Amino acid sequence: MMADRRRVNGPSGGTRPAVFASLAESGTGVSERAQRQRQPSELRKIFLKTGLIPTASGSSYLEFEPSASLAAARINPKSLIPPSSALKLACTVHGPKPLPRSAAFSPNLVLTTHVKYAPFAARKRRGHIRDASERDLGVHLETALRGAIIAERWPKSGLDITITILEAEDDRWWADAPDSHDASWGMMNVLAGCITAASAAIADAHIDCLDLVAGGVAALVSDEEKQSSAAPKLMLDADPAEHRSIVSACVVAYMPARDEITELWLKGDSSKASLENGDKRSVHEALLDGAVDAARGAHTVLAEAVRESLLKTVG
Amino acid sequence: MATPAANAAPSVSPSLSLPPSQFARLQPHAYLLAHLSPPPASNQPSIRANGRAPSQFRVTSANAGSLTHTNGSAVVRIGDTTAVCGVRAEILHTDDIASWSVSSSSTSNSNKRRRLGEKTTDEDEGQDENEEDRAHIEDLNLLVPNLSLSTGCAPGFTPGAPPSALAQSLSHQILSLLHSTRLIRADDLRIWYQPPNLGSEALERHNESQQMEIDAGQGSEESDPQEIKAFWVLYIDVMIISLAGNPFDAAWAAVLAALRDTKLPKAWWDIDNETIICSDDISEASRLSLRGLPVASSFCVFEADAAAGWRAVVIPDVNDQKAQNQRKKGPQQKWILADPDGYEEGLSQERATLVVDKAKNGKNVILKMEKHGGWSVDTEDLRQLVEISGQRWDEMKRILDQC
Amino acid sequence: MATSLPPVAIPGQRLGSVASYAAGPGTHVQQSNIYASIAGPVIVDPAQPKTQTKSTLRVSRMVPGVNQAGAAPSTSSAPAPKSKPRYNTLPAVDSIVLARVTRVQKRQAAVSILVVLDEASAANPDPSKAASDNDNVASILTSAANPENHSNTDELRFQALIRKEDVRAVEKDRVVMDEMFRVGDIVRGSVISLGDQSFYYLTTARNDLGVVMARSDAGNMMFPISWKEMRDPVTGAGEQRKVARPF
Repeated sequence: MMADRRRVNGPSGGTRPAVFASLAESGTGVSERAQRQRQPSELRKIFLKTGLIPTASGSSYLEFEPSASLAAARINPKSLIPPSSALKLACTVHGPKPLPRSAAFSPNLVLTTHVKYAPFAARKRRGHIRDASERDLGVHLETALRGAIIAERWPKSGLDITITILEAEDDRWWADAPDSHDASWGMMNVLAGCITAASAAIADAHIDCLDLVAGGVAALVSDEEKQSSAAPKLMLDADPAEHRSIVSACVVAYMPARDEITELWLKGDSSKASLENGDKRSVHEALLDGAVDAARGAHTVLAEAVRESLLKTVG
Repeated sequence: MATPAANAAPSVSPSLSLPPSQFARLQPHAYLLAHLSPPPASNQPSIRANGRAPSQFRVTSANAGSLTHTNGSAVVRIGDTTAVCGVRAEILHTDDIASWSVSSSSTSNSNKRRRLGEKTTDEDEGQDENEEDRAHIEDLNLLVPNLSLSTGCAPGFTPGAPPSALAQSLSHQILSLLHSTRLIRADDLRIWYQPPNLGSEALERHNESQQMEIDAGQGSEESDPQEIKAFWVLYIDVMIISLAGNPFDAAWAAVLAALRDTKLPKAWWDIDNETIICSDDISEASRLSLRGLPVASSFCVFEADAAAGWRAVVIPDVNDQKAQNQRKKGPQQKWILADPDGYEEGLSQERATLVVDKAKNGKNVILKMEKHGGWSVDTEDLRQLVEISGQRWDEMKRILDQC
Repeated sequence: MATSLPPVAIPGQRLGSVASYAAGPGTHVQQSNIYASIAGPVIVDPAQPKTQTKSTLRVSRMVPGVNQAGAAPSTSSAPAPKSKPRYNTLPAVDSIVLARVTRVQKRQAAVSILVVLDEASAANPDPSKAASDNDNVASILTSAANPENHSNTDELRFQALIRKEDVRAVEKDRVVMDEMFRVGDIVRGSVISLGDQSFYYLTTARNDLGVVMARSDAGNMMFPISWKEMRDPVTGAGEQRKVARPF
């Protein structure tokens, strides 16, 4: 590969991430997967604040509460391997600004979204150049927001939404090997956080919206060793590091005032699964309902953050 | 005088029928100048448009160790400029270094020096060690700092675009400062291997490869020499989250704080798997022993010149004042502004950055002095800047010690 | 339906029924209800007896009393109101704008819009009443220039054209663009149309519109001496411009 001369490059032969003894030869150190301490419908707390970046028209900073195991590890660190991680991201909104000269006339606001992980955001070091998953996140985020913004109020102008992820969510517990239906589950939580944060930043920029749109995640998890023995359970705001296996997960962007979903993303194979306790809903319905419930929870935080910054300025 | 705003005496920002805010945008140079040189009659102090005194830095805060997936991390805010730095350590096997030969790693000399290095202080380090530090850290690219502005930190930086010229230049300034201050000791980055004495201990090495490493340090020097098997490479990534002027001071402070927070796991060569294995036990991990605390202070020079004619128009009586002043000492023609914000940076060409550390006796040690874009700063000014940078060092030390 | 209105609203908050109010700026209507679409104070504009029957409900972009900071730098407590809201004002038809001339051609002048004066401040020149982003010194100080895009800040600003026929109201056929504007002049203009994809169209054909700030060839700030001439106070030389009447 050609060295990128615009960046400081490391050793040309490449480097390898550290391999820990406790991973190679099991039995030492902390090798128990953390258990979820929350109720199935209990969400993690969200820290959300707007207006921290004054050079932008609007901005927000979002943090998920660390899981119980991560919080414990922070207070009393024993191992260099974190049990899980909790989303931290910053969002800025620039504009409305003129469209580039090359762009065609647009009677509406043209939305551009951009999601990028910091190189140190995840367990595996991220590259400097946007990869497919980051592009994916950008597209999903744009769909989520486009449905909420009243674009015709801002003719021939553009709005840039940029999200920098400082800490991402894990896709699975670090010591688990990816299994047959594994996916980048952490990305679902990241998207939900991006939607909520972007909505706050847009409100901070005073761009007209139908409603504050919030993101929520629900997942179907199976914690049993044998997959088929028990029905998978529905968990809201699941932290993938706390579950042995995630069967399927769903993110929504939801506007409570209108009971409308602007973005829906469902991953995993839920066709064979069935719900426990005689739940009559189809798995898809259950996931969707769960994600909407999670989004309602996030909306409460979102509304509070927007109101708080408003009251601060109005005095 | 046909100028409508000729009666602007009490207002510091006289305007041509424009409110101050529009004036600030339309005539930024005149606006800042009006603040820095209020009419003598008004008895107002010379103060920057942002309310700071010329040598005053913005409120600074630092917070370390909050990012989970890093070996060390820090967030530094200087006013509205925010830098986040994460340090990630990865392993470079000597086998992967094309130019590496066993002879370069296994002299018993280096072994001796290594042990000395643990005790020595800055003053009595030999030239040899400096040279070896340089050879390993610089030639092998063990420090990899990269700064990103593509974060939405300010309008005008396209997210997703390749690093802008400013980002590239900041990355390289950080790299060269890491090298020139010799902040990081090569020895902290080396992963050693002590080949066992063939025979007696061969049976035990299986279980005691960890023990071996510790023993090696105290082992008799006459025995087989130690061998470097690998190096830690530090990826030092800085994300400027908010840019409101003076990104370098914030970025460097974040790098410094993150390196002070960095812990490297204990690592050893596992001969069976022919690879480096680390311990995740936090009590076995070690911090970097950094050389000193180099603190960066940046300045910009604002010159009155460009608006000289304007003052005559708007403040008609200034000419008289000026004439009097000139007889005494002449009006101030330039201001050196510490820690410039984005507005001030846009109005000045000449920049200076000083990096100072303090010796034990409290004396300022200048590690770097860089000045470009003009020639109005003279030796006397520079002496003053060293003084201000020394005061800034005290402040930054306090902040970094608390984070 | 006209029960108590909230003092402030956030997007998506229901404010009232269309039966009682007309929907104003910062709101939208959904199923016969008026909802807030931005965060801000809720304001009721009483019905104008002749034209309207209902009061208008709007959510204001303005926040009272944030603009004074920086006006008096001697009160060095200036950095107190930290996170400053910056409100967006797009140029609209009839907006009064301040713009810098970037190019003068035979048939038109190109300008880059620096400030959109909102209606409140345009109608009422009392600066203490105007409180948009554009009158917020602190936000200008933080949002201003970054070292890198000196050359291309114009790309972040809305561009506009002043066509030859829109320069002045009289003697339109005798307009010579070079004698009206020079590159670098600051012009007060009024938006006459949103134009095409890249340019708005401005007019300066009113007494209060035209050049408000200009430097002479010698580089000195000039003052206006008539509706078509400005003078350099140092050299005494006059230069031709389409001058705006000073307030």
